[in-house]
Amino acid sequence: MSDWVKRFLPFASLVALCVCIAALEPKFLSAGNLAGVARQTAVITIIAMGMTVVMVSGGIDLSVGSEMALAGVVGALLMAAGAPPSVGVLGALATGAACGLANGAAVAALRIPPFIVTLGAMGIYRGVALLATEGKAVVGLPQSFGRLAEGELLGFLPVPLLFVVAVALLTHLLLSGTRAGRYCYAIGSNVEAARYAGVRVSRYQITFYVFLGALAGLAGAIESARLVTGQPTAGEGYELRVIAAVVIGGGSLSGGQGSVLGTLIGSLIMGVLSNGANLLGISSFTQQIVIGAVIVLAVTFDEFQRRRFETAVN
Amino acid sequence: MRGITKRFAGNTVLAGVSLRAAAGEVHALVGENGAGKSTLMKILAGVHRPEGGEILIEGRPAHFTRPADALTHGVAMIYQELSLAPHLTVAENIFLGREPLRFAPLGVVDKRELNEKAGRLLSDYGFRIDPRAPVGRLSAADRQLVEIARATAEARRVVVMDEPTSSLTAHETGELFRLIRDLKRRGLAVVYISHRLEELGEIADRLTVLRDGREVYEGAWGELSQEQIIRHMAGRELKEIFPPREAKRGEVLLRVEGLTRAGKFEDVTFEARAGEVVGLAGLAGAGRTELVEAVFGAQPADGGEVYLNGSKFAAPDPARAVGLGLGLLTEDRKRTGLCPDQTLARNLTLANVGALVKGWLVRRGRERKAAREYIERLHVRPPDPDKTAGRLSGGNQQKVLLGRWLFAGSRVFLLDEPTRGVDVAARAEIYRAVNRLAEGGAAVCMVSSDLPELLGMADRILVMRRGRLVAELDAKRTTQEEVLTHAALEEDRSEPPAVAGGPLRYEANV
Repeated sequence: MSDWVKRFLPFASLVALCVCIAALEPKFLSAGNLAGVARQTAVITIIAMGMTVVMVSGGIDLSVGSEMALAGVVGALLMAAGAPPSVGVLGALATGAACGLANGAAVAALRIPPFIVTLGAMGIYRGVALLATEGKAVVGLPQSFGRLAEGELLGFLPVPLLFVVAVALLTHLLLSGTRAGRYCYAIGSNVEAARYAGVRVSRYQITFYVFLGALAGLAGAIESARLVTGQPTAGEGYELRVIAAVVIGGGSLSGGQGSVLGTLIGSLIMGVLSNGANLLGISSFTQQIVIGAVIVLAVTFDEFQRRRFETAVN
Repeated sequence: MRGITKRFAGNTVLAGVSLRAAAGEVHALVGENGAGKSTLMKILAGVHRPEGGEILIEGRPAHFTRPADALTHGVAMIYQELSLAPHLTVAENIFLGREPLRFAPLGVVDKRELNEKAGRLLSDYGFRIDPRAPVGRLSAADRQLVEIARATAEARRVVVMDEPTSSLTAHETGELFRLIRDLKRRGLAVVYISHRLEELGEIADRLTVLRDGREVYEGAWGELSQEQIIRHMAGRELKEIFPPREAKRGEVLLRVEGLTRAGKFEDVTFEARAGEVVGLAGLAGAGRTELVEAVFGAQPADGGEVYLNGSKFAAPDPARAVGLGLGLLTEDRKRTGLCPDQTLARNLTLANVGALVKGWLVRRGRERKAAREYIERLHVRPPDPDKTAGRLSGGNQQKVLLGRWLFAGSRVFLLDEPTRGVDVAARAEIYRAVNRLAEGGAAVCMVSSDLPELLGMADRILVMRRGRLVAELDAKRTTQEEVLTHAALEEDRSEPPAVAGGPLRYEANV
């Protein structure tokens, strides 16, 4: 019963939210506005997919916003130096993956709590991005690169949406269809039990952080394409939105729980909330308060579920 | 308690159970794991609220919504899992929430009086524990005694004891029984939960047997023989708890040579052959758990070698051990065994997910088929592959974890206290599974503190004392007394021990 509620609640909230906003402002349902929501949430959703994997395995990564900025800057610098957009995107992916590798190695090999490691990494990656650009935006990117964010397929499907769908499918396959996915849930549920069952825990933990880093890199490339510049200040505060998307979608801060579909809904709730607030003329300051409150509510709900489970178990 | 009904997530765990405990009597509550004993007692202690039924204290209905309500009515509970604050001292724990105060409105704790009161209480009970010691530094047994002291100091009408002797020595158990008789004289009702029928005989006045959340017997202690009680608990005759085995000895599968870990075990050499069950006996702290964990590679060793099927295996690497056909059923299934929020099927297949994979993907069909097969083989209840593993009873969790190594196709099984905290019927199931393993050509090393179990199951018994192997006995010819003599022989002599640390305890129910 409670499992069912937990699954259904995020979806019901999303529907209720859409109905409320549409009732107050019919423009919300226009094709243009919905495509806008998709575009705006794409970056968060892509990172949130990777975050789902890391959080299911019992980890967390606070440095995703900085990873994304650094990756975007590296990609932009490559292209500004004359590289084609494909090389720029690959550069961004590789940079993100390298950041993830560093985080994962510190967490798995040195056994430092991920919260601390990635809190430090958040400052380091941002600092490197600012140093590399002297704090200024990287300009002079090829016009064709902009299509990564603003392009449309068949005239109405925003390109970032295609990335979201592809990344979501890939992540879903990883989590629910592969051996790594099984291990991911097991490690998050009880890391010692996984080790005693012969799972190479460190290796998988590192892989999950690399996966998340690469997705943050992809998000960085899309963000640069949207701005047609490489911004060292991009993605500030995104870690909060990304983690919120996962938690709202049923992911647990203590690991072992979470799903791609849930995160997708969580991310959409965040996106619709912010779009609706804009349409209704609510200031971005108030939005921050609302988002913060939603996160606290989601975590509280998760906590109560967990406690109920634990009392039931005992 | 009258007609108590309780459901968790749709499962009825108690169906109209009644329990009457009279002043000045010890009421024994027995049943298999998962029969509902602990749940019933947690309802009495105000931890859970029942869906139906009522609690009557001295004839008047009482409604408990939290543990404090139960305490107000004079009902105190000693939990199976310890619930003390490790950083506080013994005295602070005993009087937690009821500290003697100086300058009462300011809430300043009178430390001296606190320690004196606690000291008096402990010495009245015959427990030799320093009231000023932080609880975190005490042994498991001493912590249990503190827990008992706290609950009995609080109780005015009813004390509930859930498996209170599981970590106590024979001497301490004796002290506890003296205390229980004292509580009876003071007119309290004691509800006593235990798996150990022998010890219940010493103190119980009445008996209630639960099975599958129902009350199946209520009567005066002594009306039923132990065999009849077990039959009520299990609902069927347990013909032979240690079934016979016909296994042929084969080649050496596991060889351990001079394995050493400073301060834990020293220069341990033994081997196990296909078709053989080797028992490892010893007192708590003799180094048996550390030894099997080092053989498995989950804990490091300082020296020595382990050979599996003749090939050397040294690195502290459980993944390699599993790959070479070694499986370890750990002593602490909560910490190192179960993934509690994952399904039964996923827990069962965890050590061999590779067998479910075809073309990069895990096949659900294979997973379910594997889970069904081992559920059937080990009689896991409920037989539901999608059941969340943490919601299974202890015995069924243990069966799932044993099934994990069966599914992994292990050839050498290290079983560390495989039946601890497991009910009689699940025990028999585990014994039968171990026999089938040996008959199928596996080598089994079984650590156990339950001597009848070792004598009944093992072919050879290796005895460890203070980190060293001191004897090898033929299980068919030896006696409990002989094993115990080897295990405890030099306890009082002044020879320098290989293992530093506290006093050695024998914790088996001999």
